[in-house]
Amino acid sequence: MRKEFWIFLCCGIFFAIVAPIYWVVSPHEISGAVPFGMTALLFFMVSFYLWFVGREIPPRPEDRNDGEIADGAGELGFFPPYSWWPLAAALAVSVTVSGIAVGWWMFMMGLPIAALAMIGWTFEFYRGRHAH
Amino acid sequence: MATANFDVQAGEVAVKPRERSLGQMAFHYMTTTDHKVIGQMYAFTTFAFFLFGGLMALIIRAELVLPGNQLVTDETFNQLFTMHGTVMLLMFATPLFFAFANMIVPLQIGSPDVAFPRLNMFSYWLFLFGSLIACSGFLTRDGAASFGWFGYPPLSDSIHSPGLGGDFWVLGLYLSGLGTILGGVNFITTIFTMRAPGMTMFRMPIFVWNTLVTSMLIVIVFPVFGAALLVLAADRILGTHVFDAASGGPIMYQHLFWFFGHPEVYIIALPFFGIITEVLSVFSRKPVFGYIGLVGATLAIAVLSVSVWAHHMFVTGAVNLAFFSFMTLLIGVPTGVKFFNWIGTMWGGSVSFDSPMMFALGFLTTFLFGGLTGIILASPPLDFHVSDTYFVVAHFHYVVFGTVVFAMFAGYYYWWPKITGRMLDEKLGKIHFWLLFIGFHMTFLIQHWLGLSGMARRYADYLPSDGFTWMNQFSTVGAFLLGASTLPFIYNVWKTRKAPMVNQNDPWGWGRTLEWATSCPPPRHNFESLPRVRSESPAFDLYHPEAASIEAQSDAFEKLGAESHETIEPAKKDGV
Amino acid sequence: MGRMKLAVMAALTAAVLVGCSPLDESSANRLAMPAAGSEEAHTMWYLWLGVWIAVLVVFVVVFAMIMYAPIRYRRKETDAPAPPQIRYNLPLEALYTIAPVIMVAVFFFHTVQTQDAVTRDIENPDHTVEVIASKWQWTFNYLEPEATQGEGVFDQGTPEALPKLYLPVNESVRFELISPDVIHSFWIPEFYYKLDVVPGNIPGKEGPNHFTMTPNRTGTFTGRCAELCGVYHSRMMFEVHVVDRAEYDAHMKELQATGQVGRPQGGNDAMTVAGLKSDGADQ
Repeated sequence: MRKEFWIFLCCGIFFAIVAPIYWVVSPHEISGAVPFGMTALLFFMVSFYLWFVGREIPPRPEDRNDGEIADGAGELGFFPPYSWWPLAAALAVSVTVSGIAVGWWMFMMGLPIAALAMIGWTFEFYRGRHAH
Repeated sequence: MATANFDVQAGEVAVKPRERSLGQMAFHYMTTTDHKVIGQMYAFTTFAFFLFGGLMALIIRAELVLPGNQLVTDETFNQLFTMHGTVMLLMFATPLFFAFANMIVPLQIGSPDVAFPRLNMFSYWLFLFGSLIACSGFLTRDGAASFGWFGYPPLSDSIHSPGLGGDFWVLGLYLSGLGTILGGVNFITTIFTMRAPGMTMFRMPIFVWNTLVTSMLIVIVFPVFGAALLVLAADRILGTHVFDAASGGPIMYQHLFWFFGHPEVYIIALPFFGIITEVLSVFSRKPVFGYIGLVGATLAIAVLSVSVWAHHMFVTGAVNLAFFSFMTLLIGVPTGVKFFNWIGTMWGGSVSFDSPMMFALGFLTTFLFGGLTGIILASPPLDFHVSDTYFVVAHFHYVVFGTVVFAMFAGYYYWWPKITGRMLDEKLGKIHFWLLFIGFHMTFLIQHWLGLSGMARRYADYLPSDGFTWMNQFSTVGAFLLGASTLPFIYNVWKTRKAPMVNQNDPWGWGRTLEWATSCPPPRHNFESLPRVRSESPAFDLYHPEAASIEAQSDAFEKLGAESHETIEPAKKDGV
Repeated sequence: MGRMKLAVMAALTAAVLVGCSPLDESSANRLAMPAAGSEEAHTMWYLWLGVWIAVLVVFVVVFAMIMYAPIRYRRKETDAPAPPQIRYNLPLEALYTIAPVIMVAVFFFHTVQTQDAVTRDIENPDHTVEVIASKWQWTFNYLEPEATQGEGVFDQGTPEALPKLYLPVNESVRFELISPDVIHSFWIPEFYYKLDVVPGNIPGKEGPNHFTMTPNRTGTFTGRCAELCGVYHSRMMFEVHVVDRAEYDAHMKELQATGQVGRPQGGNDAMTVAGLKSDGADQ
């Protein structure tokens, strides 16, 4: 994970340098300075995560110059064959958000559907037929 | 030398097109989690929005042919250019990135799918529903949003632009942006965690690098856009006063919007730069020239693009001109580096002029000029005259259309066999290219002159005495030619839908990256078996082991993982 | 060889463009821009000329390379299947990274010079005009306490005629930009300059947007609004009359005589929309 970590860190350092420069040349300009500074924080947060995870996991075959395909043999992960929940969740969220403009009745209609969709999505492969 | 298990070049895997009932197809498209199918759905939907946005553009150009209102009222005209910009940028170009990323990135890194397949689908539906909501303004009583795609308050607040059209615009874009953010997260994760063994970061195809950098930009700026939109929605609908003029709201909104807006145009541009890199490399039969320089330039462009937003605000009198001018001029440097890398890729190669290559050359020409007018605009004393005029309109159409549309078609012609299993017709492709190229330049080159001589943008009308008439007419003729150029492409797609399947892994013959090491189209989880990855061109190394590298190894290069392939052996076909 | 070609090209371009001037009859020789109408415009003109030369030289050179490479190295039947797989060339890459930095630095230097000259605040401008931009109308309040015995006079449009802005030639004018409603932009193309009219308060700034210009040639120009401000944004034009001092003073007296006194602030004070008619006829 080292190169990934360095990419995020170097970008974060760039923002950490330029944001204060911006603050100095444009004092009191908070609408730009705050997103700028927060971008630096975002990159530091992600780079810290990558560093931390990189320390914990064993070396990965994709980070090796001499990585062999056989090194990556075995289960790669779980890939849902199909799912209704993304569509259901998107419909629910769309109804909820549109309800802000159309009327609060629509917003209230959307909320429980969105909650159901979130729960259904999360537990899709832990229940019933599709349980892991 | 080990021998291969089967003849990879001819590719024995013949994929039979499946026959499904309508219900089965509907089920398939509503519930799929296959990145390749989702990518195709994005491609189809974005092309539909492209046509819709293009139609609006043609109405705009038809109206501007003569002074006076012939076709539409001023209000309708304002809705047209607002929605044209919104559709083209946020419903065509940005999701088109996801179309290509979805179709190609997992194949290029040797993974079976993306990291979060259901999230992937969710992003698509959010894009579709959000965009439909935003466009549904046209069906409301007071029409669609008409305050320009920037949505500046106070014009966009509930006093000056009341009505559902504006509300739907704001909320629909918020939804669509949510989908974009989730997609960005998905691709960063996929690229970081799901590469095939041996595919180190510096062996990834340039298109994958550009997808990564674009996704990083998305994650930075779309939340800011979402925030600005939600606040605008709150002002419009809930009666808050955040963007009130008395408290500096208009300028505050502009900072937030352009903090998103400028990186947004790089989000739009970078993936397509990646496509061009791939196409130039394959059709010159050479590896990418200056790979590390290209990666560095892409990262530099990304971080710089976050730092230049207020060059859109030079004429507001509210920003530090020198800082933003300097940063904007700096972006010209890595962009120039990329240009020379692209030229270097072709130089000394063996160039064939298939349709993808023609579109790539069209891109290079167009983007070169657009980038240079961007340098002009980066200078405030020059921008004072041409800001908010047709000069800017010409500039951004050169860079955005030149990048997105030319590279889109390059990518479509190039990857069509990989996705569908059939080739598009070459002759129609060439006709398509020339009509597009000529039509585009006819439309937009003269708009530089128009802006310099004094025509402002977003004008529904002009006076006969202004002297703008002949230039507008010339531009309109070009616009209709440009519109017509889409027809050969649509016909091409239709005509070749029953063309013979290519039945080989690499119909172009000189593909370099990993997607060309699997069948056309690929199986459900992409690879029956993966070749060994020892450079940035694994499929090329597999199929053309005799093309040895001739340049000397340098220490730095070796440390970063790219090796010479003097002695590449065709990989043993180990199962994944 | 390459450097020779570059020098020749630069010389040719310069020769062509040197025939240019901001007051030339032909719009081509004015680089498509309107004939310059202020001192500051002449300053900006030189930057325009220089940047066009640079842009055209760069475009021609790079475009030549873009065309040369695929044509010279096009695939021929007699070629080997694959060309040498060259991946990098460090000296070349360093060169084409550094050269643009130098070009950009030079341009930035000239930019800052020109910008400072154009945007400097003049301590005591000869005249001050308050520009009120409202939907979709301009009001020009001439703040001339001496000329009009303490009463302000103003120009505004009517349904029949565009608003007129009178300015005396060769005297500095400070424009104060005020809007009671949405963002507009005050643009006089002949001045090669525009500035947004922002309603309310601008963060980090005391008072409204303002700038100072010195018109240096008489004539009648068309001013425009250059920021989308609603339905009739395209129709929000004004006439600029740059006249000699005597005529300007006479106009002030005329405004006073016809009762256009006061200091309206747009909005409710503004009269009905004036502008071009939607059948395309001139005003």
